[in-house]
Amino acid sequence: MAEVRVTDRKGGESTISADSGRPLMEVLRDANFDLQGTCGGAMSCGTCHVYIKPEWNDKLPAKSEDEQMMLEAIGDLVEVRPNSRLSCQVVLDDSMAGIEVEIAPEV
Amino acid sequence: MTSNPTPINLKMLLESQTLKRAPFPVPMGWYFVDYSENLKAGELRNVQLFDQEWVLFRSEDGSKVGVTDPYCPHLGAHIGHGGKVCGDNVRCPFHHWEYDVDGMCKAIPYAKVMPPIVKKQAILRTLPTVEKYGMIWSWFHPLCEAPHFELPYIPEMEDKTGYTGSRRGSWSANTCIQEIAENGVDVAHLKFLHNAPGIPPVSASYDGNRMHLDIGNGYIVGEMYGPGLNVMRFNQKDPVTEKVITATMISYSVPVTHDTTQMNMSFRHVDYAEGTPELHFTKKQIDHMIGAAEGEESAGFESVDFIVWNNKRYRPNPLLCDGDGPIFPFRNWFKRFYAEVDHSKI
Repeated sequence: MAEVRVTDRKGGESTISADSGRPLMEVLRDANFDLQGTCGGAMSCGTCHVYIKPEWNDKLPAKSEDEQMMLEAIGDLVEVRPNSRLSCQVVLDDSMAGIEVEIAPEV
Repeated sequence: MTSNPTPINLKMLLESQTLKRAPFPVPMGWYFVDYSENLKAGELRNVQLFDQEWVLFRSEDGSKVGVTDPYCPHLGAHIGHGGKVCGDNVRCPFHHWEYDVDGMCKAIPYAKVMPPIVKKQAILRTLPTVEKYGMIWSWFHPLCEAPHFELPYIPEMEDKTGYTGSRRGSWSANTCIQEIAENGVDVAHLKFLHNAPGIPPVSASYDGNRMHLDIGNGYIVGEMYGPGLNVMRFNQKDPVTEKVITATMISYSVPVTHDTTQMNMSFRHVDYAEGTPELHFTKKQIDHMIGAAEGEESAGFESVDFIVWNNKRYRPNPLLCDGDGPIFPFRNWFKRFYAEVDHSKI
């Protein structure tokens, strides 16, 4: 069980609990933060974009080339920051308990 | 007193039960798809080749031909049922995603962002396709590798002057190309199945994807370019004029499935003047190749080979005797056209 602290698109803050082993995208999608995750983790849609507080960087898997390419592709439409991630690529584990995530603007 | 019976070789007697007609996958190669004239600008239709269906289309300006997998990589609609040619591209009916002849996605009309893989590679499988000899040719490789060789220049088909001949034929054979082509080195069958006067000498040599065949010391000289193209030149002395006349059979077989083949042929000859003995002779040569020559004892392939091809089974361990042709070197060469496909690794 990992807690996820979420800042939604209106700046509202909430904490949700999630099972370890699930992709962060599914957790956020199912908790109704209006995050689509349309492509289901194939890194082809960019609709699960989040900003993760830089403090959590060393707990996160490195970005793959495909994730980097998708983030670059949405860069024309939304702000992409160094701490931008596709939340489908972040599989939660216990070391991420308390992770702080901001839902990025819609593509 | 009883004696032990001599042990018998049961494999010899029973292997037949486990034989398959054509135990091979579709070999890689360049294959005839259709005659260029049969595909109009902007036309799209489904064709059955290489064990599956494909969508064949020609761009609206007529310059490009595409052969694509039918199922859209987006949500799996069959592009050949309701799809349309748009400019250089084929368009899926379901959401109007468009693909060029190389399978690159050229348009997704509603996406704000193209999926990144679209820029990197083709997302729809297509076959490399060219137009040559007045025909559409596609390169088939089970793992989508680029062509391993190019189609050759064939003067009889490409030289605008000097050659003529509009005879073509197409036959369905209930077996695979390897089995059909093996007859080229099986010279003994020429005497017994085709009624040739004797068993001609044969030599076959192999150079990469090419096979060079010489039957009867220059009587038939063949060049095979992979499984899908075979150019055979029949050189015969015309007893009337005493000249050696060459007629050419261009054979382009295509695997419809792994064990059925459409055999297609064009017959070409030197453009002799009307009424000359040379023209008379060369036309007779072509009749003879097909199997309909008047007043001849021997038979072309049409009348005799199919009954064997359509009903035989492939023997991986044939019992050959002296006088049989170089069957095993041919089979060894042909192996190069079968690629191993391990679906668990894709």
